[in-house]
Amino acid sequence: MCAPFGAILHRTRQSINTVSIRNIQDRVRTILCKNGFLEPYGFPLMANTHGTTIPYKLFKPTDLSYFNSYVKAYLRGKGIPDMTEALRKKFYEGIMEIFSNAATHSETKMGIHACGQLFPKKDRLEFSISDLGIGIRMSILQMGDIDFTAAKAIQWAIAGRNTTRRGATPGGSGLKILREFVKKNNGRIQIVSDKGYWELNRGEERLKTLEHPFPGTVVNLEFNTADPKSYRLASEAQAQDIP
Amino acid sequence: MNDPVTIKVSEIIGSTDLIAAEDGQMVYELITKAFRNGRRVNLSFQNVDYMISAFLHPAIGQLYGGKFDEEFILSHLEYSDITEDDKKTLERVIRDAKAYFKDPKRAEAARNRMLGQESD
Repeated sequence: MCAPFGAILHRTRQSINTVSIRNIQDRVRTILCKNGFLEPYGFPLMANTHGTTIPYKLFKPTDLSYFNSYVKAYLRGKGIPDMTEALRKKFYEGIMEIFSNAATHSETKMGIHACGQLFPKKDRLEFSISDLGIGIRMSILQMGDIDFTAAKAIQWAIAGRNTTRRGATPGGSGLKILREFVKKNNGRIQIVSDKGYWELNRGEERLKTLEHPFPGTVVNLEFNTADPKSYRLASEAQAQDIP
Repeated sequence: MNDPVTIKVSEIIGSTDLIAAEDGQMVYELITKAFRNGRRVNLSFQNVDYMISAFLHPAIGQLYGGKFDEEFILSHLEYSDITEDDKKTLERVIRDAKAYFKDPKRAEAARNRMLGQESD
């Protein structure tokens, strides 16, 4: 959850405030020093000895290639024994879909914040991406579609054939692809946007309205790294095979 | 019918990761150029590590925008070296593209809004 927290602190600092962090539990401080979150606040960067940390970083919406290199650099060869090649690929795709979604739709002026952590004993890999943009509800509203509540707007964006894409090129499939995959992987997605909260957890979906809004969108992904599913190479696929 | 022209996507864009919309647009232009010349296209995903919808929509989804009818696309485009998982992603993108272009009024309104915003 460093990504949304970092986004909020970034916004606070951008408004000419000074932020200092105090009284952190030792265990939490160690993790936040390893992932670089505390570095701007005067704490030393600690070595990522077990290779389980994907550092906290701030990206511009145009940093797609840089973000791609970052994800690959911090996952490849990091000793994730239970994660199959197929899952690694799907994990990359999922994260790239979220980043691309934030870069395309959020209109964020304060960047895209990302962070991740592997939990080898729990067979779980978590990754979080957060922006301080207009949120999903406003994105749909600006397209002249429907004025949903913030929670319903998230549900609308991840279901069916809805899209908030602008212009002549279609789009808006990213979250749906991710949802379909995470359901099979028995993982979890949490999305917070404005006052909306939507969750898919081990196949069960939940929707609710939060008491206080988040000033943008957060997507938190949890993958089951022990998923043994594998893909096979189709020798040849004709266009006729694809509806 | 003549042999298809093979477009190796990873070689064209110089990367094994199909993530950028601009790269998708480049592939779209190559496909449509071949179509206009009456050629069939074999789109090869050899050596592709992963692909996302931000690339696939401009590259392939855009083909369903009305310049070519579906029957033409079916008879002129084939995919090779594609995994089952990637095929599912591609299917989703094509389904969404067809739904998007099925409602031209909405698509047109979106385009007009965009043009209006640009001229402000």
